[in-house]
Amino acid sequence: MLRNIITLTLNDLAIAFKNKTIFLIIFIPFFVFFSLKLVDRTAAEFKKINIGLIQTETYTPLILQTITSADKIFALSRVSGEEEGKKWLKEKKIDGLLVRSEKEKGSVVLVVLKKESLQTLSIIESFSALQKAAEGNGINWISDIETLQEGGIQKQTLPTWILMLVLLVGFIIMPAQVAEEKEKKLLLALLQTPMREIEWLGAKVLSGMVLILAAVLSLHLLGAFNPGNVLSYAVFIVVGSFCFSSYGIFLGFLCRNQASARTLGVMFYLPHLLPSALSDFSQKLTAVAPFLPSYQFYEPIKSILLDEGRLSNLSPELIYLFAVGVVTLLLSYLLMKKRWLM
Amino acid sequence: MQIEIHNLTKVYAENRGLLPISLEVEKGELIAVIGHNGAGKSTLLKILANWHRPDSGHVLVDGINLENRLEVVREIGFVPETPNLFDFFSVEYNLTLFARLFHVPAGRIEKILQEFDLLPFRNNKVQVLSKGLRQRVSIGRALLADPPLLLFDEPTSGLDFEMTKEIYRLLRDFHASGKTIVFTSHRPEEIKTLATRVIMLHQGHLLFDGSPEEYFQSDIYNKTSLPC
Repeated sequence: MLRNIITLTLNDLAIAFKNKTIFLIIFIPFFVFFSLKLVDRTAAEFKKINIGLIQTETYTPLILQTITSADKIFALSRVSGEEEGKKWLKEKKIDGLLVRSEKEKGSVVLVVLKKESLQTLSIIESFSALQKAAEGNGINWISDIETLQEGGIQKQTLPTWILMLVLLVGFIIMPAQVAEEKEKKLLLALLQTPMREIEWLGAKVLSGMVLILAAVLSLHLLGAFNPGNVLSYAVFIVVGSFCFSSYGIFLGFLCRNQASARTLGVMFYLPHLLPSALSDFSQKLTAVAPFLPSYQFYEPIKSILLDEGRLSNLSPELIYLFAVGVVTLLLSYLLMKKRWLM
Repeated sequence: MQIEIHNLTKVYAENRGLLPISLEVEKGELIAVIGHNGAGKSTLLKILANWHRPDSGHVLVDGINLENRLEVVREIGFVPETPNLFDFFSVEYNLTLFARLFHVPAGRIEKILQEFDLLPFRNNKVQVLSKGLRQRVSIGRALLADPPLLLFDEPTSGLDFEMTKEIYRLLRDFHASGKTIVFTSHRPEEIKTLATRVIMLHQGHLLFDGSPEEYFQSDIYNKTSLPC
């Protein structure tokens, strides 16, 4: 009995090796390790909060003096004006921007990206502690918090969920579908009809887009989320679904069977999902992520949903996504013509 | 000439496949392609069916180069050894899908269902059918566009005696209706009772080309340890 169990276990492992599932076991820890390397900073750096100060602004001397002397907590950056400060905030060059309060004399307004974030909490706590140490209980130095991204936690996380759905169809469902048609020789059967290769590819892209649109629409209906600028949002969802459906089809063409396609799909899914979704938390990831098509989809979607971004400002991202879709579709066409791994 | 094959080569890993072969097939022939496993029989059929691309050489079917797939696709019907059907759909769905792609009228589906005794199974999912029935659906699909050339890769492999006889009857009927048929086989009775010509491949080379009578009397038949 034991011998049979060992034999069958070895057989299962051999199958996992053959269909490349074993690669996931190696790939995922490596990927997590490198991602954490990019996200994590050293303990000393991590504690420092980057605060933006407007050059022309006249801050209360005590506040300015206190945060300047607290150089183990705060790193201060000077910006030319409020607009530049907000831009820096969006680019994650600073964690918060201090603007002199018009309402309460002697206090400041803290401008942050999101209210419900660890960084905002950290700034408030640090200010509170410094204020207590410097002057005891007085009026709060931070009289108000202004956020650049509107909406609660549900809306804040919506772009990440949308990215997950789009990538799930693109990198998990589409490659498996294509590989299944190859594995069962169904694609070859279809190629024995007067159907053109491009017609099959077009139909596959369209089916992927329908799946993505259905998933996104369901999410909006269930959560009653209003996308705001509907036209810009719809255009990005359509172009994004085209891009990732084409990408997924291409991945399917690189695999002989479904098991390989699933493995390859996960190997593309995670690196596209995590750096884009985690880029909010790391400057290093923000520098790396723009090379990924998922980031070029995620950022505009986030901008449209949370910052009232408009299509006119997002055309480079749109062109990038469309180009990736076209290139991967073209590669799929060439592989199909060659009957690659069929 | 229905098929003209010129210096066709397709080499896989370990030097298996087809080494340059050239041959011609007349209209209305019923050809058995025989040989050991790995001789290149299925490769030859798969190239003719446009499943594989040759490394070199070219094939003309009714004067049309195989590379012009869209022009030649109505000329060839291919029945692979393992039926490649959409298993999770019904028999009728499978035939309808391909009929639409071939732009053949819906009446043709009824005719095929009737001709191949598939009417009682029209609504059954393919995955619940026996191999014999699936093979019949596969043959029916290959005949949707009524192609003049039919290719069968080991058509009776894995079938019981009754179903094998049924396939023989179908092959004879197709041949009698003027179609050209090329099939691969390991079975001596198939070659004896069906074929009008035998082509033997050995390690990718053309070893014999002649009538079944010539083949069974030849030294090649006596020297090679083929079952037939």
